[in-house]
This record gives sequence, C-alpha cells and structure tokens, in this order.
Amino acid sequence: MTLFFLGLGLILAGGAFAWLLQRTRIADSVFALLVSLGCAAALIPAAGVLGGRTVAGVAWDLGPPTGIWAFDIDALSALFVAVVLGVGLAAVLYGISYLAPEREHRSVGGTHFLTALFLVAMALVVTARATIPFLIAWELMALSAYLLVVFEDEQREVRRAGLIYLAATHIGTLALVAMFALWGTHAGGFTFDAFSRSALPAGAGAAVLSLALLGFGFKAGLVPLHFWLPGAHAAAPSHISALMSGVMIKTGIYGLLRVISLIGGAPPWWSWTVLALGALSGVLGVLWALAQHDLKRLLAYHSIENIGIILLGVGTGALGIAYGRPALALLGFAGAVLHTANHAVFKSLLFMGAGTVFRATGTRAMDRLGGLARHMPLTWILFLIGSVAIVGLPPLNGFVSEWLVFLGMLQAGAALGPVRAAVLGAGVLALIGGLALACFAKVGGVVFLGEPRSESAAKGREAGPGYIAPMAALALACVAIGLLAPPAVRIALEVAATVAGAAGPARQDVIAPLTAAASGITVVSGGLVVLIGLAWAWRRMLERRRPSAWTETWACGYNGVAGRMQYTAASYAAPLLAAFARLSGIRVARAPGAFHTHPFDLVLERLVLPTWRRMAGTAEAIRPLQQGRLQTYLLYIVGVLLALLLYLWLGGAA
Amino acid sequence: MPAADLLLVLVVLADFMVLGTSRLTTCIRAIALQGLMLGALPIALTQHWSLHIVGLAVGSTVVKSLVLPWFLRRAIREAAVRREVEPSIGFTLSLVLGIAAVAIAFGVSQRLPLPAGVSELLVPVALATVIMGFLTLTTRSKAVTQVVGYLMLENGIYLFGLTSTDRVPFLVEIGVLLDVFVAVFIMGIVVFHINREFDSLSSIRLTELRD
Amino acid sequence: MIAWTAIPALLLVLVVAPLLPGIATKTKSWLTGRRGPPVLQLYFDLGKLWRKRSTYSRTTTWMFRLAPLALLVTSVGAACLLPLDGRSALLGFRGDFIAFASLLAVGRFALVLAGLDTGSSFEGMGASRDATFATFAEPALFLGFVTLFLISGNLSLTGMLGVGAGLLSAWIGGGGHAAPALALITISLFLVLLAETSRVPVDDPATHLELTMIHEVIVLDHSGPDLACILYSSAVKLAVLGALVVGVLVPRTALPAPLTGLVFTGGLVLVAVAIGIVESVMARLRLSRVPQFLVAAAVLSTLGALLVLVR
Repeated sequence: MTLFFLGLGLILAGGAFAWLLQRTRIADSVFALLVSLGCAAALIPAAGVLGGRTVAGVAWDLGPPTGIWAFDIDALSALFVAVVLGVGLAAVLYGISYLAPEREHRSVGGTHFLTALFLVAMALVVTARATIPFLIAWELMALSAYLLVVFEDEQREVRRAGLIYLAATHIGTLALVAMFALWGTHAGGFTFDAFSRSALPAGAGAAVLSLALLGFGFKAGLVPLHFWLPGAHAAAPSHISALMSGVMIKTGIYGLLRVISLIGGAPPWWSWTVLALGALSGVLGVLWALAQHDLKRLLAYHSIENIGIILLGVGTGALGIAYGRPALALLGFAGAVLHTANHAVFKSLLFMGAGTVFRATGTRAMDRLGGLARHMPLTWILFLIGSVAIVGLPPLNGFVSEWLVFLGMLQAGAALGPVRAAVLGAGVLALIGGLALACFAKVGGVVFLGEPRSESAAKGREAGPGYIAPMAALALACVAIGLLAPPAVRIALEVAATVAGAAGPARQDVIAPLTAAASGITVVSGGLVVLIGLAWAWRRMLERRRPSAWTETWACGYNGVAGRMQYTAASYAAPLLAAFARLSGIRVARAPGAFHTHPFDLVLERLVLPTWRRMAGTAEAIRPLQQGRLQTYLLYIVGVLLALLLYLWLGGAA
Repeated sequence: MPAADLLLVLVVLADFMVLGTSRLTTCIRAIALQGLMLGALPIALTQHWSLHIVGLAVGSTVVKSLVLPWFLRRAIREAAVRREVEPSIGFTLSLVLGIAAVAIAFGVSQRLPLPAGVSELLVPVALATVIMGFLTLTTRSKAVTQVVGYLMLENGIYLFGLTSTDRVPFLVEIGVLLDVFVAVFIMGIVVFHINREFDSLSSIRLTELRD
Repeated sequence: MIAWTAIPALLLVLVVAPLLPGIATKTKSWLTGRRGPPVLQLYFDLGKLWRKRSTYSRTTTWMFRLAPLALLVTSVGAACLLPLDGRSALLGFRGDFIAFASLLAVGRFALVLAGLDTGSSFEGMGASRDATFATFAEPALFLGFVTLFLISGNLSLTGMLGVGAGLLSAWIGGGGHAAPALALITISLFLVLLAETSRVPVDDPATHLELTMIHEVIVLDHSGPDLACILYSSAVKLAVLGALVVGVLVPRTALPAPLTGLVFTGGLVLVAVAIGIVESVMARLRLSRVPQFLVAAAVLSTLGALLVLVR
C-alpha cells in the first residue's frame, strides 16, 4: 500500500508543479513525467493483486470526529484502480497537448492540478474501506469534476450544464450519506469490515439497497437519473469528458458492486429492478444518442447505453445470488466488470478522437463535418477501432464483454423457477447492439467519410503525436483484450468471485470451461483479422495486374458536387427514430424550404425542469414572508412567543 | 394434448393478427378464424364424447365464425366504411404490448391456483386473450374495431369456461351464447345509429355527447 | 471444438450458394408466366464481373475497397459456425451463436460505411434503411436462438442444431410444447432471412427505381471484382440463413452420411423455392411498415420462447 500512496502522492505533486510552474516551458514535461511515474507506481500493487498476490491494507484511527481511515486493495478494487489510473494516464497525457493552445486565455496549469486531484480522488474512492474516507474522496471527485466541467465558463451553456451536474451529484451524495448513516447505526461501526460482518434486518436492508441504487445510480447515469450526463460531458474539455465518461461514472458501478458484496446478496425485487433499469437505460440511451447532432453529446448518451449493459450484467449477477445460483452470479458480475473495463478504454478513445476533430475543425456539429478521413487518416483509423469496439463486434474487446453478458442472461434460462424469465433480456441486448451499430456507422460515415460539408471540415489537418500517441495506446488495449480473450475472461471471473463471494468448488466449475470457451473467441477474432489481411493483400496484388480507373461517384447519375447534398446525420437517423415515435425526444420544425430537428432530453425537459419550476414557484409564493425588514422579523419572534404563552395558559403542558 | 396446444397457439396468433393489421377486413377475418379455433377446442379437449360437447362445438363455431363476422361485414357495407384501422398508439407499440400481455399472462397463470383443465396452455392463453381484448378496445377508435375487441374479450372468457366443460350445465352454455349474441346485437344497433346520427363510425365522436 | 469432418459440407454450401438466388428468380418467373433467366445466371455474372477491372470514385477511401472483402470473409466465417452437415460445425464453442450474429453484423457495418463513403445521397439513403431494418431483425434472430437453447439445453450452435440437440424428439411431441415453439421460430427465422437477404416484402431485388431500393442502392458504386465479392457474399448469406431454417425444420442426426447431404441440398432448394413463391404473391411493404413486419417476427420468436419457458 505504501507504493500505492507514493504513486498517488507523485501524481498530486505533478499537478502542483504544473500549476506553480505554469509560466515556464518545462511545466508540461514535469507534469507528464511525474504523473506517469505516479500512475506506474500505484498500478504495481493493483497489477499484483490481479495476478493473484494479496496486498496488506492500512488503517489509521484518527479518533472522533472522522473515526477510522482504512484503505485496501482486493480484486475488485484492483480492477477499478487499473481502470482509473490506466485510462487516467492516457487522458492526462492527451490533455497536455489538447489544452496547450488555450494557454494564453486560461489557467491551464490550474486545470492540470485539478485533473491530478480528480484522478487521486477516484483512486481513493475505489480503495477506501471506511465511510468517512469514502465520502470525502467521493465529494472531492465530484467537486473537482465540476470545476473541470466549467473550464469554459464564459459560455452560458457550460455554466448551465455544470450547475445541473452539481445539483444531481449532490442529490446522489445525500442519498449515500443517508445510506451509510443507516447502515452504520445497524452495524455498530462505520468501516466496511463492520458492514460485512453485520446482518441487516429486512427493512433496513431494503432501505440501504434502495438508497444505494439512488445514490450510485445518479453517479453512474442510469435512466431516469441520467439527465446531468449529456450536458456535462459535452461542455467539458475532451480529455475531461473521456475521464468522466470512461472512469467517473464507473465509480457508481463500483459502489453498487461493493454494496452487494458487503451485504452478501440482494433480494429478488432489487435484482429485477436493476435488470429492468439496465434494459431501459440501454435502449433509451442509444436511441437518444441516435437523435443527437453534436458529436460529444452523442458519445455521452452512448455512455448511458453502456451503463445499461453493465447493469444488465449486475442485475443478472444479483439474481444469481438472490435465487442461489452461484454460476449465474459469477457470469453476470464478470460480464459487468469486463464491460466496465472495456468501456473505459474505448469510450475514452472515442472522446479523444472527438477532441482531435474539434481541435482540427473547430466544430462539434456532425452535419458540418465530413471527408476528414482523407486529411486525418490516423485519427480515422483510431476512431474506427473505437467504434468497432463499442458496437461489440469481433475482433475487438467489446465483443468479449457482450458475449459474457449474453451468456450470463442465458445461464438464467438453464435454471428453474422465476429466474428463467431473465432469458428474454437477450432480445433486448440484441436490440441495443443493432441500434449501436446503426449509430456508429452514422458517426463514422458522416464525420469522416464522404465529402466535407463545410469549409471548416475541408481544412482539418492531422493532429500531432501528442494527440495520436495516447489514442493509439488505448486502441492497442482494445485490440489486445479482444484477441487475448481467455486471460481477460479469467481475470473478470476472478474479480466477480470476490463480489459474489462464491465458494471454492463452484468457482472452478465455472471459470475453467468459460476460459476454454473464450479461446473460441480468440480463434474467431484472430481468424477474422488474418483472413481480411490476406484478402486485402491478394486484392492489392490483383490490382497491380489490372489497375483500376478513377472517376467521380456514379450514384445512378444523380451526383451533386456540393457536399451539402449528402445524407446528413439527422436524415440517416430519421427512419429509426420514426419507428420509436414519441420516445425519441426530438422536436421537428418545418418551414417552407427548411426542416430542422432539435433533440432534447426527455427526462430533463418533461420531468426534472417542470418539477424544478413548480418547486421554484412554491418558493416564490412563500417569499413574501421574508421582507428583509428588521421590524417584520421581530414581529415574527413576538408572534411565536405570544402563541407559546397562550398555549401554556390554556393548559398545554401538565 | 398436442392438438389442443396447436389450436391454442393459433388462437394467440389470431389475437396478434387483430392487433397488428391495418385493414378492417383482416381484423374480421382474424376474429372469424379465432371463432373456428374456439369451436374446435371442446372436441380437442374432451376426454369422453357426448352429444352435449358436439353441440357446444357446432354452436360456437356457427355463432362465432359465421354469424358474427357476417353481421360485422354487413355493418361495414351498410355504413360504406372501407378505411384503415386507426390506432392511437401505433402498430409496433400494439404488438409489443401484446407480447408483454402474453408474457404477463404466462407468468401470472403459474402463480394463480386455477384448474388447468386438460391442457396447461389453456389458462395463460385465456388470460392473454382477455388482456389483448382490452388492449384493442382501448386503443382503437372505430366502432367496428371496438366490437372486434369486445368479441376477443368474450372469446377469452369462453376459454376460461372451457377449463371445466365436463361440469358446466347446458343452461349456462345457452346463457353464454345468448350473452354474446345480445352484446353484438346492441353494438350493431349502436353502430347503425352512430352511423345515422353522426355520419361516421368513430367512437371518439361519442365524447361530444357529454354534459 | 474444431471438427474437420464438417469441411465437405462447408465446401458444398460455398459451391451451391450462387444457385439459390437463381432458383428463387426462376420460381418467381414461372409463377408469373415467364421463362426467366437461367438458374445458373449468377455463376455467369460472377465470372463476367471477375474478369472486368474496377472503377473507383475519387471520393472514396480504403474503407470502400475493404468492405467487399470484409463481407466475403464474414459470410464464409458465419458458415463455419453452423453445423451444415447436421452433426457438428467446423468451429464450435459456448456462445458461438453470438459470434455468428456478430460476424454478419461486421459485414453489414463495413457495407454501410462503404455506402456513406461515396458521398452520394442515394447510397446514404440505402445505408440508413439497411441499418434500420437490420436493427429490428436482430432481436428476432436472438430470441430464436434463445428458444433453441431452452429446448436443447446447449449454448453452442452445434449443440442446438446438431448432435445431441434432441430436435427430432422435440418435433415428434416431446414434453412441453416444443413442437409449436419450433414451428413458430422456423417461421420467424424465415422472415429474418427475407429481411437480411433483402427480398420481398422488405426490399425488391428487381426494382429499377432508386427511391425504392435498399440493398441495391448501397452497392451502386461497386464494380468488377468488388461487385462479384458482394454478390457472392449475399448468396452465401442466403445459403447460411437458409441452412439455419433447414437445420431447425429437418433434424438430420438420425440419417446416414450421404443422405444428409442430399436432404440438406434439397432443403436449401425448397427454401429458395419458398422465397420465389413469397416474392410472387406478395408486394413489397411500404417502408414505414417494415419495422412492424420485423417486430411481428420478433413477436413470433418471443411467443416460441415463452411456450418453452413455461414448463
């Protein structure tokens, strides 16, 4: 653990130096060096735990009011630490190049310090083993994220997004405080050890689980608690969006898994609720993503969809524990955990790609882009790798985790009893996969392929190595996890065993055959890559013998030269959105010669904002009570005093 | 019993045909088909034959698949309605709600202590048909489709009755058939009167009668 | 996991695949009173296209040239995962049906990107429609697999359709309503076949109007060997999905080896004839009705799954 804290200290020091030295030329290099060293140092114990070794936890008793501060790294924490620091390192290095052009207008060094603080806070959240350090790290994470979101605070949209995010995260934190308070009073202590040793009565257990779902659900972004996500992720700088989407919302998932493992299971009603919410988030998330015109908002809604898929895994695992099927629990949690790690990697890659596009062209509107593949070939290839991964196609890592989640849900069908109905979730997951394919074919095709739709798209140029290298590292991780499926599946299953608390024999029954089955995936993925490569080489050879001709696009003779005549993102998505009618959340405005679609967030506009306005209206109605005049307040005091005296006189207290 | 199972699956498919089609004549044809299946069911379900069972089967077939559809087709011809079904929630959503109804019916019937009768699909299919009948009644605005929905509801209740064909006395069967007949008769009158007073067969226009 | 005995059946399918669209077109011609093109027409077309050279648009990138190859590799790969000889597949592992659907999805993804690569509004329109209809076909396909899993208890395609699936006993009246469920998913898989291979009522392969095309319009700009790859891949996809339908309908584990090949080919030919019959008696659906058609297929699959779930 000392190495771990040393690493975190180095990261913070790097941030401090970046802030203090921000006027000098060496600030960026010092920051990059210190953060890399820090992440590497802190990752070593985590990698050790994932490899099978154990790490000794630390605990300090600081007396009242904070009590015991305990930290530990077990398999679950190790995976999340690896996610936080691995993806965090790539995002921070990307951010150095990304923010460099902003140096004149803003305090870039301060932003780097806040990013380092954000990383350290997240690492502490996933390793904390007592209530107070957990909540302090949680709040630190939320606040530093807020300050990073409002980086461009001169824009009204950014300020609004930041405020909605701040309100939402604090409602969640309030639920978490209530949960820990309730739990601690029943358990007689506030450390996680005390929680796992105590047995909660049914009513308190239900309350704890519901509050956990509310609090961690706000952070994770499950529908309908997701309304802060799109605005905040679109407004933040791209590497911060990558960190928030890839890592921060996963801390919500970590919280849910930790609560399940500490309570030792969940009742069936909670598990079915999580499964249903996961299905809802998955379908609605990708549907709303299809409706978006802004590249970063689209990616943010996709995060909601992937959280839905992760929750399908969590729900399946919880069902396994609830109905006493250890194999089901292992499979479900393994799928959730692997998809968490995979999503962190490819979502960050996609956000960085969006950031590169924004820096090159100056716009995030997809209907103003196009044809970028010609001048930004490396960015296109890396973005394509991210897209194929997020759709869950072989040969990349998204396929492996979706395979695990599918197997989990189907395993439910092998059992007897009401848990069998979970098998129908496979149809929902298939629908989500199809919608995701349609969405990312749209993004890749509209943004990178075809002809440029505006001047700004035509002058986009390839970004420097500072942008490309972190993205390439993440893309390499996607490919590696996709091709090396058996080790990835085995690690995921081991982590899931920590959550499910499964006994020894049951573990081996499940882990060995699944790892063997995963080698089939390696054959498929590897075969796909090799065969396509061979086909490509053979095609090139054929082309050399019979050179091709080059001309304009034929398109049945209906080719307009203007890029604006191509299919836009909105028109591509129109048939799918029409099939879902009012659920899609778009407003259509028709005028002679013009047609606009405006996506809006259904939950925000129809539920949250009207509720807020009604609350504000009620508050306005009560407002005349506070005039600000001293005499009125003295009158209130005298009035209450007289009422109390009257009550006593008329025989109140005996 | 495989024959009864097949007939019950066809009954559910006829329900979906009513929910998913956009043509009025296909709706009526579907409900006629369902009537035919329901007529054949007592014969498929019975363990021991009797004149009573055969009479019930023939009577139901004649009424449900010949007489009632003929009434409905005549109503359409007299009112000169050949337009599409106009649902208020869209066909895809109707189909999805229909399959949700079937899932709920299957799930609930495993918990309810109802007699399964000879085939264990009987209670779930009956419940599903009742729910889908309600669905049709509430989401279609044309009077003719509402009659079809009501008929589906009655078919579902009839299926519930089939769980105990051995013990139902003859009088109740007459009552059941008369009930259906009277319902359709009243609806037929209403249909014609709607047509004569308001010059349209849409029941949304009925709301103009309030206060 | 790898069964080399499946290779002859695989080669048979790869060779016979271009025959099937020809049979479907011939059936349609006969039923509408014409003589129609020869059954081997697709072979002649493939040979002719192969000898030509390609013409590319300057707007396109390497994605456009990769797409036909990706489509070819994934269609053949999907064929490797099915037990084509009725006993076992070339490659089988737990959950390989997910790989089956995902391989077909990779091919579709590449084709849609290639369509958007040309920068033409027509191909963009085709790409949009193709992606929309494929989205609704996926749940129907997966729920069919779920039903097969519930009946056979096995998570691999070899186990669901080949040795040890118990499909024969399920059809002849095994316990628990398996026979009606199998009938329902056969119909549902046939409807998915019509959608994925762009046949009436989802798409009309013989239409000349660009505004009514779906699959034809995405491949407008491909030519020469690329177009040959795409046409062949569509034929292989038809054969693969047809093999799936035949596998559910006619379990062949009990038959001796040479007879299974004959029965299988006969089954594929019957599927092609059925496609031809459907094409001649139905008109193409209005485009806004196609999602409804595919939701109906999904409803049939779900009903089949529900019938088997309640045991």
